[in-house]
Amino acid sequence: MILEVDNIELNFKNKRILSGIYLKAETGKVTAILGSNGCGKSSLLDIIFGNLKPKYELIRIDNKPILKPLYKTGFIKYLPQYHFIPDGISIKTAFNMFGVNWAKFASTFNAFKKYKSYDISKLSGGERRVIETYLVLKSKSFITILDEPFSHLAPIHIESIKTLIEEEKRDKIIIISDHMYRHIIDSADHIYLLKNATTKEIKDLRELESYRYLSENALNNT
Amino acid sequence: MKHLLIFFHFYKTYIPWSFIITLLLGFVDSYYIPAVISKLFLTVFAWYVTNETSSKRKLTFYKNLGISTQLLFVSMFVLDSLFTVFILFLFKLF
Repeated sequence: MILEVDNIELNFKNKRILSGIYLKAETGKVTAILGSNGCGKSSLLDIIFGNLKPKYELIRIDNKPILKPLYKTGFIKYLPQYHFIPDGISIKTAFNMFGVNWAKFASTFNAFKKYKSYDISKLSGGERRVIETYLVLKSKSFITILDEPFSHLAPIHIESIKTLIEEEKRDKIIIISDHMYRHIIDSADHIYLLKNATTKEIKDLRELESYRYLSENALNNT
Repeated sequence: MKHLLIFFHFYKTYIPWSFIITLLLGFVDSYYIPAVISKLFLTVFAWYVTNETSSKRKLTFYKNLGISTQLLFVSMFVLDSLFTVFILFLFKLF
């Protein structure tokens, strides 16, 4: 499956946020979007999912234009930056709703075993993030969008999530964005930089320095 | 069945408000149609408040399950109307 996002234009009042966006993502690959704070990454992900309606948009799957919000197709799952599971839902119920196996999760994340019947609001921000990321990655879909999946996570959980991404990308399109660029570089097969409201495909990591997303020699220090 | 569970989870946050209004309607009069119309206004008001506040974020959960905002509020209205009619029916009995 190939997802193409083309010709996006988004303005807030008189400010141009996105213009002339092109992004291509395919099954079996992790496509990353990098960019500085406020450059429009989350807005772009919201548009792809169908949460935000821009002035213009063209979303194609296998060359066929998709005219309704992608979430209505049932193809897509989205991890936004914020906690998206509402308070008042137990973890067990959330797993049931997403059709994800709790036992497999508990065997990977042993420390979470005791939380099965807990309300999601009783967990810490990082723990909640692990569960939300796991649900989005493991539930049935063809496209998975992850907005800042590594933020607020303990290093051991970051490694587990990276392993999950590697497993899940075999059957899915994964689009990811995070400020923890080293993890993104590790996980991504294709990278786009969002700068001056438009996307630039990054063929060589040095371009991230020349476009001033990274400081000079930042990549030498990895 | 799974969808019904999802709709109920969304609706349950509005139950206390709806219940108070139903009780007031029950004490004032117990006609079904005006009560259901008042619940329609309550649903539209809840929709507006959700869209204009950070509550909008919680809709992402339901969208991830393939449920649109419109379907969510329509289901809320249907569940709420059934609940209202049942409560008013109890009022008429006693």
